[in-house]
Amino acid sequence: MSSIKPSESAAETVVKEDSEVRPSNSFWSYLGRKTGGASISLIMVVLLGFFAFRVLPGDPVTSLTKGKQVTATQLANLREIYGLDEPLWTQFGLYLSNLVTGNLGTSYTFRAPVATLIAEHLYPTLLLTSVAAALSISLGLWVGQRSIAKRGGWFDRASTAVALTLWSVPTFWLGLLLLMLLGGGLQLFPVGGMVTAGANYTGLAYVWDVTRHLALPVTTMVAVTYAQYMLVLRASLIDEMSADYLVTARAKGLRDDLVRRRHAVPNALLPTVTLVFMHIGGLIGGAVTVETVFSWPGLGYLTFQALTGPDLPLLQGTFVVFSVIVIIMNLAADLIYRALDPRVRLS
Amino acid sequence: MPSVTFDDVSVVYSSQTDTGRGKIAAVRGVSFTLPERGTLGIAGESGSGKSTLAMSVLRLLPRNATVSGRILLDDRNVLELSWGALRTVRWGEASVVFQGAMHSLNPVQRVGKQILEALELHAKNGYATATARQARMLELLGLVDLPGAKAEQYPHQLSGGQRQRVMIAMALACDPELIIADEPTTALDVIVQAQVLEVLANLVRERGLSLLMISHDLSVLGSVCDQIGVMYHGELVEIGPSADIIANPKHPHTQALAAAFPTIGDPASRFLPVSSKGTGAMPIVDTAGSGGTDAPAGAVMLAARQVSVAFHTSSGVLKAVDDVDLECREGEIVALVGQSGSGKTTLVRTLLGLQQPSRGEVLFRGQPLVRTTKGLKAYRRLVQLIPQDPSGALNPKHSVYDSVAEGIRIHRLPGDERERVARALTAAELTPPEEFFRAIPQELSGGQCQRVVIAGALALGPSFLVADEPVASLDASVRGEILALLLRLRRELGLGALIITHDLGLAWNIADRVMVMHEGRIVESGAVEDVLLNPQHAYTRRLLEAVPSTAGNARKTPGEARLSPPGWG
Repeated sequence: MSSIKPSESAAETVVKEDSEVRPSNSFWSYLGRKTGGASISLIMVVLLGFFAFRVLPGDPVTSLTKGKQVTATQLANLREIYGLDEPLWTQFGLYLSNLVTGNLGTSYTFRAPVATLIAEHLYPTLLLTSVAAALSISLGLWVGQRSIAKRGGWFDRASTAVALTLWSVPTFWLGLLLLMLLGGGLQLFPVGGMVTAGANYTGLAYVWDVTRHLALPVTTMVAVTYAQYMLVLRASLIDEMSADYLVTARAKGLRDDLVRRRHAVPNALLPTVTLVFMHIGGLIGGAVTVETVFSWPGLGYLTFQALTGPDLPLLQGTFVVFSVIVIIMNLAADLIYRALDPRVRLS
Repeated sequence: MPSVTFDDVSVVYSSQTDTGRGKIAAVRGVSFTLPERGTLGIAGESGSGKSTLAMSVLRLLPRNATVSGRILLDDRNVLELSWGALRTVRWGEASVVFQGAMHSLNPVQRVGKQILEALELHAKNGYATATARQARMLELLGLVDLPGAKAEQYPHQLSGGQRQRVMIAMALACDPELIIADEPTTALDVIVQAQVLEVLANLVRERGLSLLMISHDLSVLGSVCDQIGVMYHGELVEIGPSADIIANPKHPHTQALAAAFPTIGDPASRFLPVSSKGTGAMPIVDTAGSGGTDAPAGAVMLAARQVSVAFHTSSGVLKAVDDVDLECREGEIVALVGQSGSGKTTLVRTLLGLQQPSRGEVLFRGQPLVRTTKGLKAYRRLVQLIPQDPSGALNPKHSVYDSVAEGIRIHRLPGDERERVARALTAAELTPPEEFFRAIPQELSGGQCQRVVIAGALALGPSFLVADEPVASLDASVRGEILALLLRLRRELGLGALIITHDLGLAWNIADRVMVMHEGRIVESGAVEDVLLNPQHAYTRRLLEAVPSTAGNARKTPGEARLSPPGWG
């Protein structure tokens, strides 16, 4: 009996060792690893951006001079100006060295530096997608957690049905429908652009004008995207609702809505957050369709115009910029996930 | 102080399936009274309704459960309380220590905050201010022997025992008068289990609380509770003082439960695991061969020579296995005993060629392992692993036939596949085998699943088995049957086995030799009788000490000698 006493504490230390936090998993090493991964993706994107568009069918010089009388010498001359007569590897070297200095080349169709074009069109796209994303996420998450309050109730069934319907609708079709009904038919909203042409509004009048122009494209984007957030949150909430720690929470005497909001939602949010950020890339991709339908002067519309060229430098430029945005968003998702889930943070 | 009275309580789960509404009676007409300051244990297997019964006290059952009868806390019927009144009773008057604290704590909240939440909800007894609550929370952690700094940690940073202590601290937060403990020590190591039980039992005794404790393990209940009730198929089949229930079980099911946790040193349970079919229903070894020590000493099958395995982690080098020598002979059953974290799983992985040792070598029939893909494939056919959780080890989408035949196909064994599968299933006592061919794991019981796993191993004609906690996830009544099967395979096929377990009773049940592993080293090994009855190493003694038994309880608290059954051990 007495020989057992001293070893009692030995068992305690064994237990404690299991739970020791590894010191190396600091925020900075995590950030370093994730940024490293993101940089590798970025390099791949840059490589892909060059070669993928070289595989596209169609000779850029021929399409540039479509409908014009040009001699073979003039064509060769144009090729030389744009560096298209050089071997592929020389073109690639030039592309890389230009990229480092921020020079994305000159657009064939706009006859302006690609960097300038992208800068001009960046703001409208960021405005459109961020407003749409904010609304779509808030709507999706609110409806998602509200629907589970009474599973199988009228709100749950109605909201799931509506979400599934809207999710299945093609973006361009919904956009055109809204455009024709609310824009063209009822004339409630402007049918295209970001500002009323010719009217040089300033201050609040400008904000109001942009908001009116935003209404239809944002509605289209929110309608087709919020369903994912809602359905994923709803599904992970249903999973979490049967978790043991919720019985603990109920046993403590918490009201059912507090059990849901304080304990179930923070856990169910984890898979949803990953999805939200992964999907922001898709949102920007969807912007190409929406911007084209509503003639929104953003990067998506610019990409559409570059594709009809094909305007290789412009396509390369928008491709790289879109990819950078997606990579940054994924990095943000990793960081936010870490902030939300202590198991990622500390294990 | 409340007493708890169950008056003809029944619980029915209604489920909606494709074929219509089904009704399952989980609890049928249970009546008993837990007096003030009383401690009552409810024993039973999974599906016996014991957890349903416990959860019904605070109406924590899922929505599809209908409770009838009366559940009285003092003189109030819990089933008729308003939601508001019920929420005050929850945790304020009666709190719960849940099973498997891994999942019962919110994984994304610091444990301190989870304790504080209970205090905030029931702000009474002067815990009205945040500082008072903070102080109370730290005091609670102190009560369960945890440092205050643990409050800042998340559940996954704590060990199983620490999480269960947090759970107990949380349960005590609002000075309840009744504690309901639902399998509070399941999935904990034997030593940690003993510590947690001691904390719980002491607190209950010191504070004069009533305790309703649920467990599948009679000896755990016996070490804490005055009374034990046994449930079987939703009915309370037996209730009485703990000592009587354990020493003289009347109902056959109670007898099976009692036998599943054999008394080490009791010759009746040596090489004679008991199943629910009754004591001695399956005579395993003829009396002549039942002497454990003179087991057949065949040739050495599996051996390890000075094997060490080190892992390089960010915090340094971790020696999981440290200079281990071992030998397993043909037809010999060897038990490798140790706590979780002792390195026994790493050792087994190394023996199976799944882990490269950093030093030393593994020998099979005297030859070092050939570490090529082909060599390891041939080796793994001859040494088969029986994993811990049979339901997890079987592919849920594969039929029994496919699960057993998979190995035959991989190793391209000659002969009729169908016949081989049938033979393996018969050897694993699944007869007639044809009836099981098309079943999927979901349709089988836990014991049947484990038999399918064993059949899958036997189908390859192995010469040695390695079983990792083969009965840890099985019910008491099935436990004996599976152990009996292992003994029969040894007798009829001459199959030896290395059995990894934390359960010393299992070693006593079926092993010839036992090895005790602690912190990567084998600290003691020898014949089962020698090691378990006359342990030399301090750690072995501590393991034996931690095995809950009524005798052990009497030793710890001499004042409660009434719990020590006469003529026990």
